[in-house]
Amino acid sequence: MFKIYYIETAQFSLFFQTLKDNYRVFAPLVKDPAGQEVDYFYQSVCGDATFIFNPYRLVEPLKSFFTPALEKVAEYFNPGLALTETPKTIIFGVKNCDLIGHKIQDFVFLEGVEVDTSYRLKRENTILISSDCTDFKAVCHCLAWEIQPYPEAGFDLNLSPLNDGYIVEVGSNKGEELIGKYPGYFLPVKETQLAARQIKRGNLIDRLRRHLLPQDLVSKDIVQKLVRDGYNLDTWKQFMLTCVECGGCNFICDTCHCFLLADKKEEKQNTKLRLWDACLYANYARVAGGANPLKSRTQRLRFRYTKKFDFFIDNLGMPACCGCGRCIEVCPGKIDIREVLKDLAKKLQS
Amino acid sequence: MKNIYQPLEATLEDIIVETSAIKTFVFRPKANFEFKTGQFIELTLPGIGEAPFTPSSDPNVKDRLEVTIMKAGRVTSLLHGLNKGISVGIRGPYGRGYPLDEFAGKDILIIGGGVGLAPLRSLLFSLFARIDRFNKVILRYGARTSADIVYKDSLPEWARRKKTDILITVDVGDPSWPGNVGLVTTTLKDLPIDLNKAVAIVCGPPIMMKFVTLKILDLGFKPQDIYLSMEKNMSCGLGKCGHCRIGKYYTCKDGPVFTYAALKDIHDIWD
Repeated sequence: MFKIYYIETAQFSLFFQTLKDNYRVFAPLVKDPAGQEVDYFYQSVCGDATFIFNPYRLVEPLKSFFTPALEKVAEYFNPGLALTETPKTIIFGVKNCDLIGHKIQDFVFLEGVEVDTSYRLKRENTILISSDCTDFKAVCHCLAWEIQPYPEAGFDLNLSPLNDGYIVEVGSNKGEELIGKYPGYFLPVKETQLAARQIKRGNLIDRLRRHLLPQDLVSKDIVQKLVRDGYNLDTWKQFMLTCVECGGCNFICDTCHCFLLADKKEEKQNTKLRLWDACLYANYARVAGGANPLKSRTQRLRFRYTKKFDFFIDNLGMPACCGCGRCIEVCPGKIDIREVLKDLAKKLQS
Repeated sequence: MKNIYQPLEATLEDIIVETSAIKTFVFRPKANFEFKTGQFIELTLPGIGEAPFTPSSDPNVKDRLEVTIMKAGRVTSLLHGLNKGISVGIRGPYGRGYPLDEFAGKDILIIGGGVGLAPLRSLLFSLFARIDRFNKVILRYGARTSADIVYKDSLPEWARRKKTDILITVDVGDPSWPGNVGLVTTTLKDLPIDLNKAVAIVCGPPIMMKFVTLKILDLGFKPQDIYLSMEKNMSCGLGKCGHCRIGKYYTCKDGPVFTYAALKDIHDIWD
């Protein structure tokens, strides 16, 4: 069992300020109050930037730190690019949906036939400091997938805000080592503080449940059957009609991991690039000669859902959706993953 | 530290013209390169692009690698314009090849279409090297016209080998072609095989694989005894990039050779 600490707000500010001397630190510094909801974005911490607690997930997916949208992954045949240790990095602002979604990225890049060494190095050199949600966005639906709005595993440290500070739960050896480097800031946690955390968590779950109940969302245990049995339903065609093939749902998704390898000549060096790809793109599955097994948008939309709710349940035992709702917010065609699944359920019942 | 995206340099040593659209490229890798028959590689044109191919050469040869390539897309068209001496990159080998051990003691029916004979040539070399372990090898090969037949010099030599029965057919005949005319499916009647201990291996364009599979199922082959080479967009070859998914499988990692039993309940496998 890892330990649980407490840190007072003033001490936390000092701790936060100190970290950037030894680490690259990213935190939810930027707020965009333009919309109805305030949006938070990751930013590199520099100067005397103060910590902002994000009540819910950030706009960007966590994957962007580990597999950026465009990355040089090899140089050949006169290699100048060697796999190097990535700088030690700390990321604040991570929520439980991000951690759950990130299990998919870890499965893809750390397991299977080969380990992606560059991903592993980044993962090893990154400390994830997650936090409880204290509010939710309109599109948030983690609970529908039985995912709690507070982290339970997968973090190095987790912050639970109380009135005058944070409970700091350690989730890994990396987290314990970090606290060991700054021992003066942390106090032993009190039972009353843990009880207060419990109440806050319970309250948020109640609020989120009340928000989700009228939506009548499909449950985790039937979703695989829905996409399998609903393969030939007109749901896919119906929801495809407003798809503009922008790939936004793929890129913003913390579980979508598809990429393309491309080659480029940079001066005299040959380079191999890895770019995010999107299964909603027309050429995603096209082969040489022009044959394309996913010719229509209908097929591609369905492919996205069977990947999330059939493939990953078969191969990893979990659906590749963490209920973060990023794809719902980003879609210019207003395609809502919750509504697609509900439509399958409705049509299969009747 | 191993970089899974790093290609191995290889020199293009020779080019053999097979047909107007198909060439066999002979590469000499900078280090010995081993593969099992049916596994594939990613071939990089430096600074230009990468594409997956199954080697057509003998897996017992480690210092050379042959790849038979049809001009079909961007990378293959550029490949066809190359001259000897140029450097290319090789990643792999990837995927699971033909399970030769499971073919021991059996009649092996090999059905190829067009450039689909390329991986089968590598398979034939592997079978010939240990022919005593197998009961017999029957090759049925279909090309569009006689001009589209690959390995024209080798086929007669293979046909003379012991335990080997080869029949070539062309979709469209011409006066210079003395052989069989008709789709490859028409050559599958009255095959001299014992269905209780036989396997069928099919490689060709998806439409050909579909109709051949239906035909041999009709003949009595069991789904688990039919081995198909699936063609998909395979970018990474490592089961990571997502493109080549068929149902719960990735073609690159779980294939590219699949039994029909593994695929038959998956939608749209022939698309």
